[in-house]
Amino acid sequence: MSRAATLLVAALVLAALAAVAFGAPRLLGDYLGRVLIVICINAILVASLGIGNGFTGVFSLGHVGFVAVGAYASGILSLPASAKSAYLPDLPSWLSGWHLSFLPATIAAGVICVVLAFLVGAPLMRLSGHFVSVATLGFLIIVNVVLVNADNFTRGARTFAGVPLETTLPWALGWLALTLLVLARVAYSPKGRAWRAVREDTIAAQAIGIEVLPTRLSAFVIGAFFAGVGGSLYGHYLGSFSPAAFYFAYTFALISMLVIGGMQSLTGAVVGVLLVSLLSEALRNLERGFSLGAVTVPPLYGASQIVLGVVFILIMIFRPSGVTGDLELTLGRRR
Amino acid sequence: MSLTRRNMLALGAGAALAAGGGLSIRRAAAADAIKIGAPFNVTGGLSSLDAPALNGAKLKAKEINDAGGVLGRPIELVIYDTKTDPTVIASSASQLINQDHVPVGLGFTDSDSALALGPIFQQAGVPFVTPGATSPKLPEQVGSTMFLACFGDNVQAAAGAEFILGKLGAKTAFLLRDNSTEYTTLLAKYFDAAFTHGGGQILSRDDYKSGDKSFTAQITKLKAQSRKPEVLYVSAMPDDIGLVVKQMRQAGVAQPIVGGDGYDTPLLLSVGGKAANDVYYSTHAYMAEDSTPPIVKFFTAYKAAYNTAPENAFAALGYDTVGLIADAITRAGAPEPGKIRDALAATQGYKGITGSITYQPGSRVPQKTVSLIGVKDEKLYLAAEVTPSWIAKP
Repeated sequence: MSRAATLLVAALVLAALAAVAFGAPRLLGDYLGRVLIVICINAILVASLGIGNGFTGVFSLGHVGFVAVGAYASGILSLPASAKSAYLPDLPSWLSGWHLSFLPATIAAGVICVVLAFLVGAPLMRLSGHFVSVATLGFLIIVNVVLVNADNFTRGARTFAGVPLETTLPWALGWLALTLLVLARVAYSPKGRAWRAVREDTIAAQAIGIEVLPTRLSAFVIGAFFAGVGGSLYGHYLGSFSPAAFYFAYTFALISMLVIGGMQSLTGAVVGVLLVSLLSEALRNLERGFSLGAVTVPPLYGASQIVLGVVFILIMIFRPSGVTGDLELTLGRRR
Repeated sequence: MSLTRRNMLALGAGAALAAGGGLSIRRAAAADAIKIGAPFNVTGGLSSLDAPALNGAKLKAKEINDAGGVLGRPIELVIYDTKTDPTVIASSASQLINQDHVPVGLGFTDSDSALALGPIFQQAGVPFVTPGATSPKLPEQVGSTMFLACFGDNVQAAAGAEFILGKLGAKTAFLLRDNSTEYTTLLAKYFDAAFTHGGGQILSRDDYKSGDKSFTAQITKLKAQSRKPEVLYVSAMPDDIGLVVKQMRQAGVAQPIVGGDGYDTPLLLSVGGKAANDVYYSTHAYMAEDSTPPIVKFFTAYKAAYNTAPENAFAALGYDTVGLIADAITRAGAPEPGKIRDALAATQGYKGITGSITYQPGSRVPQKTVSLIGVKDEKLYLAAEVTPSWIAKP
């Protein structure tokens, strides 16, 4: 496809996205709009998780640690000054008395995560295989303990409330488009090829002159930026959260979406999120009981989790590399 | 099957269809029933508190309908399982407001869940009453539509402190808290204030985290004290208290252990067993066959409906909350959110089985009596009823 045609298609897709973003709340109603927002946020998080875990082969369990840092950092930055004095009376003076609006706070959250990812990644990205998983799990635990104990900044274990509810569908879709655009550009550039080379065979990659540590670190840092952004969107979507929200349960939810969709493609990440989110929403509504003609099914709370678990097992048996494997949905040509 | 783009499109369409099919099914509702939203964490970490509360609520709704309903119309609980997950809570809240159009709602036994739902109900101006989220700060944090049907943690902590100073006659305490939840940290803070105000002394403090399986470090610290505390106040979540008590007793800690309504689950006795003797906790009502007549009546009805005794006081709170809401709808004269909110705020002396509920002007936390339950010979008994004289500010 020629460059002009690609641009045209991209412009059309963007226009369609914009139409959906602004029209959807009116057309779909608030509830489906909310489901879409959550899907967008999770897609940002899963796609950025896939960069490290899928493309580079560094199976990190610490992604949600960055999400937590993003949510808290942007929450603290964007809390209105009056709410700061009420909720966080012990905040140091250089943080209190002013606040950022949503966009700068979100970008700041991403940047903070980048800095953190450099510090954490520099030693950890030397590790491979299971070791890096356990080490990044350690990072997640450290983040949780710090959030619980840094009372002055985070209200400790108590709910961090009062964050302005700013995450609307246009914001979420916009950030998702940006995330996918950036990740796709990098993942299918020479840099991305280096990621996959390191994943497939570290020694062979080194033999052709690819340095393992900087390559892995770059993937980890890029993933962390979007994890921070996603965390900020999540925080501004819920308005209140506590450290417990960013722990093992969320980690495994994101990882299962990634594994089910397909770890080694961005399309897989999005498909996984769509599949898991739509299925669990549909099942959640079905388990409340319904009647179809003469048949009445009573409410069976918890059935949705069981069915979802069985579906996960079936997908793993029949498509062990996820729904998409390493294939991408492209405009006419195979990468 | 090799994955082509066509396959993938089909897969996506299938998923979308499945979702759409699920969402479009409407549950048959009784003719012109008054809907009451009822989101509860029936599954997940809070199910041991939320499920009994929901059962209590359903029981009261059935009794009201059997007696002719409210304003001549039946009431219908619109139930959602929110799975102890904040995003599911937010989605369900939106469904209640925008699809089910409920004029009022009740639900949850913890403040995290109530805070996730609160802004959505507040924005729509729909009142919400929580049977068991005991944070006294909750109504302020959410706004004019959030009500508590239970006392605040500051009240039960003060009652616990007065019970220790009075009935147990102890002046020194060791304060152990779970520092990973809002409920346990606030309860410990309020207890600290009330106990010190009443002339008691906290000799030392320690923390643990919900989910910990070993409390050796805390027990060692406690036993190393040169001055032995007369009482232990342990601010704990339901899942942990059985284990805490068991390990304390095994290590030879014989002092009374006192805590809040987080203890009020069958887990205290089933996990703690014999070790639970000499444990006391503050809660909303004494659930047993030798309690007050209204509770006994509730006890029997609950047993008949669910084949089990009420698991804890949250069952009674769920029951009372539906009664409170029905009373408010009757006084409002119409199932409209604004009118119900005003009627709720004006509630004076609603006679519930967990005590009478009155909202002081401007306050949406009721003043109620606190029951203190003790454990003797692996059985619960009513140790005291306390209306605390001094209460820490929220």
